[in-house]
Amino acid sequence: MHAARNLRLCTKDCVCLFICPTGATNTETGQIDFDKCLDGCRLCVDACPSGAIYLVSSTYPKPQTTEDAVAERLFALANSKAAQEDLARSIAHGSDDPALRQICKVVEMSSRIIAEDLWRESGYIIAQSDAAEQLVEAMLAEYGAEEGFPVEAVQAFLNGRR
Amino acid sequence: MDVDVRQMTWTELAAVCTNLEKACTKQLRGEEAATFAQLASFYESRREPHSDAKIEELVALIDADLAGGYRSANEAAQAAEDRGSKRALLWGEKATKLLKSLLVRYEKQGAKLTEDTGVFVCEICGFVYVGDAPPEVCPICKVPSFKIHPVRKEAI
Repeated sequence: MHAARNLRLCTKDCVCLFICPTGATNTETGQIDFDKCLDGCRLCVDACPSGAIYLVSSTYPKPQTTEDAVAERLFALANSKAAQEDLARSIAHGSDDPALRQICKVVEMSSRIIAEDLWRESGYIIAQSDAAEQLVEAMLAEYGAEEGFPVEAVQAFLNGRR
Repeated sequence: MDVDVRQMTWTELAAVCTNLEKACTKQLRGEEAATFAQLASFYESRREPHSDAKIEELVALIDADLAGGYRSANEAAQAAEDRGSKRALLWGEKATKLLKSLLVRYEKQGAKLTEDTGVFVCEICGFVYVGDAPPEVCPICKVPSFKIHPVRKEAI
């Protein structure tokens, strides 16, 4: 578990620099040096006057389970949202009107965001979930031999979980 | 419940990957986020636009979700007392109604709809807004406006 800085909140009062026993908070990037940060130390988190530092876990609990009757309806909606994104993309592709393309872009973006949220609630909320691991394994098995599939990155992800 | 990747469309596969990319980014896991971004790009690169796609077809799909998909999912989430799913369905249904309204208004007004004003999308819930500046807080998910982004007209 290491500390991280929310740069939108940080008011540069430097109290984290004063209190950090390893110098991890003092970097040229503005972000904390995660490798130097002491696991679970949290001195900077408690000292920060602007509430800009938080702890990032290295492990997460299993996500809440979603009942099959709910999950199958969420999947159906996610499928429909993907079809809407595809249609909006196709309409934009077939048009040279900037106003129509702008509207289509909005539909594409919004449909994707809604679909992602449906996936999130059906077991794919974090990459550490069993559902996500099984999905990535299935993707590798089905598409791993195709050109452009990121085989090495996917294998590194799966190896990192074992 | 497991999904079958062979039954999923390219865009569905991309969407589950971009969702996991975002989750990794929020955990400050850059390498894993990059892996899911690469997977999403792989699936997106497989897509082929359909020819002769029409706004009416899009509105019909949205109408079907509003008339059936959301209601049936809400009933199931209610029966399961699944507040997380109810939350996602509530936000998604509201954003979907706004998408329909945007398309219907565009069909009536054409380019005039956005002639002198902006269009914005909330990166968290998909809320859509036509106007000069987005609201300070998203009316659907309550995120501050720095997460509500303009979508600009682009010349080809």
